[in-house]
Amino acid sequence: MRDAWPKFEAEGVRLFAISYDDQTVLREFAEKQEIPFPLLSDVDSEVIRSYGLLNDQIKPGDMFLYGIPYPGAFVLGGDGRVVAKFFHDSYKKRDSPELFLDAARGKILVDENTPIAQGGDEDGVELEVALHGGSGTLRQGIRREILVRFRLSDGLHVYGDPVPAGMVPVSIEIDGPDGLVIEPEIRQPTTPLLVEATRTELPVWSGEVDFRIPVFAVGELASEVRPLDQESVQVGVRVRYQACDERVCLLPRDESFELQIPLDVVDVPLLSMHLGHGQREGKFKAMPHALRLMRRKVLPHPIGALKFLLRNIRLELAARRRRS
Amino acid sequence: MTCPGIEANLLTVAIERDDLGFDAPAPLGHPARLSKPDDHQAGPSIGEAVPDFRLPDAYGREVHLEEARGESRAVVLFYRSAVW
Repeated sequence: MRDAWPKFEAEGVRLFAISYDDQTVLREFAEKQEIPFPLLSDVDSEVIRSYGLLNDQIKPGDMFLYGIPYPGAFVLGGDGRVVAKFFHDSYKKRDSPELFLDAARGKILVDENTPIAQGGDEDGVELEVALHGGSGTLRQGIRREILVRFRLSDGLHVYGDPVPAGMVPVSIEIDGPDGLVIEPEIRQPTTPLLVEATRTELPVWSGEVDFRIPVFAVGELASEVRPLDQESVQVGVRVRYQACDERVCLLPRDESFELQIPLDVVDVPLLSMHLGHGQREGKFKAMPHALRLMRRKVLPHPIGALKFLLRNIRLELAARRRRS
Repeated sequence: MTCPGIEANLLTVAIERDDLGFDAPAPLGHPARLSKPDDHQAGPSIGEAVPDFRLPDAYGREVHLEEARGESRAVVLFYRSAVW
């Protein structure tokens, strides 16, 4: 978020980042990590509750965890209504800030510095394939998008499904390394094209058309808790399509692109429990804040905290058994 | 389920790979790892207005959502903690 902040400012999109942390830790965190946007302090989780986001699987006695939200983001339009939501099945799965901006803007703005490849032909079809989001890097859990953008000259279109026999609809295949999760492709809606001769309607795209394939790395490729095996990975993108105008069709095309995508080195907060973990420890020392958080959250619930500790020891022992 | 190359000792918490493939420093089943069941969606739906709020920022200045946002587009982001 920090690195994408200039893009938010340029677009005039405001950002409100909320957690149950107190002002002391937020101030130190903002200073050490150089966070340029406001971090808001919801110590009693009242706003988290009013949004219906309180993690209700965590009990008041559960150490310092009680009061956290199910993490995610709402993108609001100018009228204050939600235009997009970003919530996932794991707290580790998060979205690139650029995807929030795309939702606010209603259009994807591709960064110049991102891994990008060009294609197309000389008959009015331009193709651009890019890794969109972040600074064009991959890291564990953070969703980027592989963007396949067609720019079609006036009068040209490409086909969605279904098409009559003999025609080739747009299809995209991604070939990534192990540990790169490829989510289902997101397509813009097609417009119907009326074919006079057969009085049928075909689903087509024309003008500038974006196909987005969300991707993210998991531990196998980009673990946050051990050094990276490699600095970058190669992702292959194969695009098949056939462009036509009202009278003639060009030959079907089959284009392959290679994107060389760097992996991010991740900062992990300095908390004594995390000693020895993490690719690189940040400047921010979390331990004093963790103690304060414990005083605030744990002391009022001594019995609950004890239950939590016992439950945690059981989980930890089970984990050690799995390891050995 | 274990994460190769990670040595754990008494001071460190366990590192494990979950069923989605993520490595994280807490045992599987730890409450902090739980996500919302079912479709993972929570809070106001698309098309709805969100609750207004007044919250202090890191320097104690009150931020009022409606006033600070005005007519601008905005992102309201909820995260778990800056501490851990």
